[in-house]
Amino acid sequence: MSDRILPEKGLVVRHGIVEIVEHWAIAISGLVLLATGMFELPMANRYYITSLPGLGWSGDFIKALYIHYAASVIFITASVFHLLYHGIRGERGMLPQPEDIKTSILVLKSFFGKGEEPLFHKYLPEQRLAYVGMAVIIAMLILSGLVKTYKNLYAPDMPLTLVLWATWIHNVFFVLFILALAAHIGALVIKPNRPMFRGIFTGTVRLDYARRRHPLWIAEMDPEEMGRLPEVRLPEGNVSEGREAEAGDLDSLYAEIPNDGEDGRGGPAPKMRPVAEDPSELDKSESPPVPPSSPDTDAGDRENEQRDA
Amino acid sequence: MNEERKSGLNRRSFLKVAAGIASAGAGMSRPGRAIAAGEGRLATLIDLSLCDGCADRAIPACVAVCKEINKDKIPPIHEPIPVPWPRKAVEDWSRRREVFDRLTPYNFIYVHRAEVEVEGRPRTVFVPRRCMHCDNPACATICPFSANHKHENGAVVIDPDLCFGGAKCKSVCPWEIPQRQSGVGIYLHILPNLAGNGVMYKCDLCRERLATGKLPGCIEACPRQAMLIGPRRQIFAQGEEQAKAMGGYIYGKKENGGTATLYISPVPIAALNATMKKQPGRPDMKAEQRRMAETDRIGKAVLQAPLYGIAAGVVGAFLSLSRRKDRRKGGEKDHE
Repeated sequence: MSDRILPEKGLVVRHGIVEIVEHWAIAISGLVLLATGMFELPMANRYYITSLPGLGWSGDFIKALYIHYAASVIFITASVFHLLYHGIRGERGMLPQPEDIKTSILVLKSFFGKGEEPLFHKYLPEQRLAYVGMAVIIAMLILSGLVKTYKNLYAPDMPLTLVLWATWIHNVFFVLFILALAAHIGALVIKPNRPMFRGIFTGTVRLDYARRRHPLWIAEMDPEEMGRLPEVRLPEGNVSEGREAEAGDLDSLYAEIPNDGEDGRGGPAPKMRPVAEDPSELDKSESPPVPPSSPDTDAGDRENEQRDA
Repeated sequence: MNEERKSGLNRRSFLKVAAGIASAGAGMSRPGRAIAAGEGRLATLIDLSLCDGCADRAIPACVAVCKEINKDKIPPIHEPIPVPWPRKAVEDWSRRREVFDRLTPYNFIYVHRAEVEVEGRPRTVFVPRRCMHCDNPACATICPFSANHKHENGAVVIDPDLCFGGAKCKSVCPWEIPQRQSGVGIYLHILPNLAGNGVMYKCDLCRERLATGKLPGCIEACPRQAMLIGPRRQIFAQGEEQAKAMGGYIYGKKENGGTATLYISPVPIAALNATMKKQPGRPDMKAEQRRMAETDRIGKAVLQAPLYGIAAGVVGAFLSLSRRKDRRKGGEKDHE
């Protein structure tokens, strides 16, 4: 993980070169697979795609298959590389956490103006859930595609049941891939997400954005950063509802904290931090240590928060 | 070699194969049971020195019986047939079901009449044409819905309940054998104007008859016994022997990567092909290469791709981890 703060540039490194190359290898080969997969439906001739400049080959199923194969070599290699490379390095930031479904609903509501979004780690809970969704779709496409390729090369008379399973898994997950891709691109339509967009090209996002929206991530990289932030106490109910703040549970702790109203929605970003009943619990967690807060400061920030809201 | 002698040899060979298969308890007499017992792949042999095109009949016997067997295969056509969008190509043979001199959705076999000249002497050769049931049929492997499949016995069969009629199988078949009938099939129930355009039909080697122990209709009906079916190895051995004996020629053994249909011809295949002009429903006899072979090498790379990913992932991760370790060590040293 190459994440680090570049204070002099006002940026945070969100993705290293390996992740960027992985992403674009999978994305570009995936788009080629998508297009050539459609050509194999068959679609190109019927819909006059063959008439488009440079796409005359699209009606030739053998050529389209060749390109489909070539793209899948990249797609499969990059996907398997991704799993192993990050798995071995122990980078699991994109794996969903227990409260992600619940929290992501709050985030989605906030996109539609209902409530405020919680503070985030590096990834939004939606991103972690979407990652698993996309990973399952890609895995199914690869597995079924490998069976189909093996059939094409070595076993055209492989049992029909197996061929039908592979074919229909490939077809169904092809549709799901299109939907997942649409959702992935569509997430950028949502204004608060847009500052993340540059990250997948340049590897960096703006520090002020990251501080405001991903303070838990910033704090992971620089524990002092969190300590410098003005504090906001959680609404009482959040903690007293029977859950103690625990490691990995920070997202849900933040879930009901009103957000700064920034991200293009105006107003300076009030800084917040989680408050556990026993701050030592937080010290044990993977998250950075958080200094205990004074009730007075908390009260003051709560007032600020209400004003901002 | 005179014709009579050739014919006699063929006849004897035919009988020999028949006796061999019958004594093995599998093949010609009860091929269906042989298949059911998993006794392997079948092949057919068409001896052009025997076929006379049924000159005494209005329709060759093989064609007539095939039409009869398959007459109810296509359900009633949806009227009006949906017009596909944007390319408006409707193929309707339902009003021309009687056509027998080419392949149509209602006619899976036809007999081509070839007037050739061999060693200065004119000669007429009749060539029954139908699906060759290729060894690695692109029509089946490239079907996006696996509606077309090569079964264990070697028969390449289209499932009319799964076929959308995109005619992809026809495009990739070097002989363009499958024929489309619009207005039938599953596409009618989905997006009839936007996706699909009917069902593709072709010879299925009388799969249902084989399963009940019967011979394919064309083979059973041939009055000259110019066609036979049996275990692939035996049929191929028989074909080789027969061609050698008559000083003849073989077609179908290597074409399109190999097929389950062997033509044994007393005249060069090129001479037959010269009489055939490839046109819709009327295949020629070119020395076709298997075009899908162009994708085999890259296909193998696809199958190896998971290994590439594993190797790159493991090496990459350990390299980066060791670099990280080195950096830490360096940092500690600097600190000291």
